[in-house]
Amino acid sequence: MNYLIIGASSGLGRELTYTFAKNKNNLIICSRDKRDLLALKSDIENKHKVEVKTSTLDLTSEESIQSNLILDQETLKTIDGVLFPVGLMFENDKVDLELEKINNLSQANFSSVAFIISKYLGCKSEGTIIGFGSVSGYLGRELNPYYSASKRALDSYFESIGFNSKKKNIKIQFYILGYLETNLSFGKKLILPKGSVKKLSEIVYKNKNKKFKKYFFPFWWRFIVLIIKIIPFSMILKNFRFLK
Amino acid sequence: MKNNYFKNLYISSFDKNYYSKITLKSPEKYKEIEQFSELKNNLITSGSNFSYAPLGIDSKSLVLDMKKFNRILHFDKKKKEITVEAGIKISEFLNFTLDHDLWIPQLPGYPYITLGGAVATNSHGKSSGTDGTIRRMVKKIIIYHKDHGWLNLSNEENQEIFNLTIGGLGLTGTIVSITFQLEDFIFKDFITIRKKMVSVKDCLIELKKNILKDTFVYSWNMAQDFENFGKGYFFESKLEKNILKKKIKIPKKKNIFFPSLCLWNKFTIKLANLFFYKLQSLEKSPSQEEFLKVIFPYVGKELYFKMFGSKGLIESQLLVAENKLEQFLDEFKFFYKSEKPLITLFSLKNMSGEQAFIRFEGNRICVTFDFVNNKKNLNFLKILDKLCIKYGILPSIIKDSRIDKITFDKCYIYADEFREKLIKFDKKRIYKSEVSRRLEI
Repeated sequence: MNYLIIGASSGLGRELTYTFAKNKNNLIICSRDKRDLLALKSDIENKHKVEVKTSTLDLTSEESIQSNLILDQETLKTIDGVLFPVGLMFENDKVDLELEKINNLSQANFSSVAFIISKYLGCKSEGTIIGFGSVSGYLGRELNPYYSASKRALDSYFESIGFNSKKKNIKIQFYILGYLETNLSFGKKLILPKGSVKKLSEIVYKNKNKKFKKYFFPFWWRFIVLIIKIIPFSMILKNFRFLK
Repeated sequence: MKNNYFKNLYISSFDKNYYSKITLKSPEKYKEIEQFSELKNNLITSGSNFSYAPLGIDSKSLVLDMKKFNRILHFDKKKKEITVEAGIKISEFLNFTLDHDLWIPQLPGYPYITLGGAVATNSHGKSSGTDGTIRRMVKKIIIYHKDHGWLNLSNEENQEIFNLTIGGLGLTGTIVSITFQLEDFIFKDFITIRKKMVSVKDCLIELKKNILKDTFVYSWNMAQDFENFGKGYFFESKLEKNILKKKIKIPKKKNIFFPSLCLWNKFTIKLANLFFYKLQSLEKSPSQEEFLKVIFPYVGKELYFKMFGSKGLIESQLLVAENKLEQFLDEFKFFYKSEKPLITLFSLKNMSGEQAFIRFEGNRICVTFDFVNNKKNLNFLKILDKLCIKYGILPSIIKDSRIDKITFDKCYIYADEFREKLIKFDKKRIYKSEVSRRLEI
């Protein structure tokens, strides 16, 4: 099987790359820095004897996406599944963020992902699409408002393509992630424990053939999100300021 | 995303003599090495943090933890060459190369050490008498330096920095990747001959006999009391061709919990030594031994270190000229008799190579002592420092985290040359560890 992993060079993407390679799948891996991709390619090819192709891709750049040869129809037709373990954040992501950064956040976290999926759906009648959202997308926030808005958009988009999958043999999984042991949460003091990326990547691999499924990881976020959904937002705004 | 958060954690050196709050960043991408290096004026690179002395940690420097840089970048079986990232552990490295019947013999006794750390300390193994140190196998290094950027180091390119980097304790920059020349390893097991030793002098005779032999030799001697001082066993392990081509796999590290009390005392040391001595006398000689047992003798024996408790141990590893060894040991015994230090381990092996800069290397005999960390032993170690100066002995600054600048300067006669060349290369002296600050390197 051939899988395309976008955002493969670090964190969850890197772990997913190893998990899929260990299970003897050929890979096309994409990220912004060629050095990281070549290191990953060499390591995987030496250890797991699978074929790995690399392509530099910047999800914040329309030009990079439009000109990427991996994303042409002929190549996409050969791909059995696409994974999007991507997430762009800025430390100064607040309501007054400058336009360029707002665009970068929405492109990397939502619109570029949606565009690649639309291309993939356009040329495939069967395959797998795996996306990764965030629990932050379930609540409007004072911190990271543009990140969480774009993740909420992505969540909604995956629900929409779920309808599409009914017509075709497309399997769709969407993971809503809480805190993970990655460099994004490195050194941060968090209320809840971080989930293991290794464990998550194994779950993702195991579930890759499920028709349509939404998962929470770590699992306890399902209950937290459920509670957040029940409570009226005006009450959250008034009484749960710590959720900012 | 650029995450400017630091991890602040309390960490100790392996010998537990240094304990401090450190600031750490853990790069995963090449760009992050560049970005994180800009965050502080002083930096130091850390691997597995298994070095006895605090070489990869410092309370005033930002620690760059390179564990995620653990990939194989290039492998050429024909040329027997491999390029790996510095954070790769010896176990991960060997699990790959041994599958191709290749390896490097200059490996320290614990497989969870990173190769970047092994190069920065110019590590040696049980065959150091014939194979020397890891320096012999290093063909190329890529470092990242905060001011100089990415540098290729080899005998052909930036040779001076290349020489400063091997055994340079990470002070020339962050070692990011290393190219090794590999050696054939068609053997899978060892045949070990055990010889009973009555005194240290017996061991010296055996060591001399084995100087140019392709064997892994070391001695284990008792030092629990004056009467039995030097009594022990001499081990001579030779690689054995195994017809059944079995796969060697180095297991993952297991963490064991143990109370923080020191359980080594006069009684337990004596008991452990007598038990080990008896065990050796019951073993067949020659006997077949597994790769793991000979090359990594500490695997599965982590309890030995745990038994030193929260105060840890002091390992004194000394390179002594052969013609001075007997005289040194006589004087050592003289002070031993009066001071009665608690020594848990005493061992001898051959070492070969050329001493330069601050490298622990030379055509000498390597003597190792493990001391319980207490006041009496610390006083004895001060005497030992004086003996080092008197006999021109090289004490390991990688093992002994107690050595002061005076002893270091007097024993490491090329230290000033290292300092001069380092400051010429790095005027701001960016890369600093606790060891480099203490020894003013």
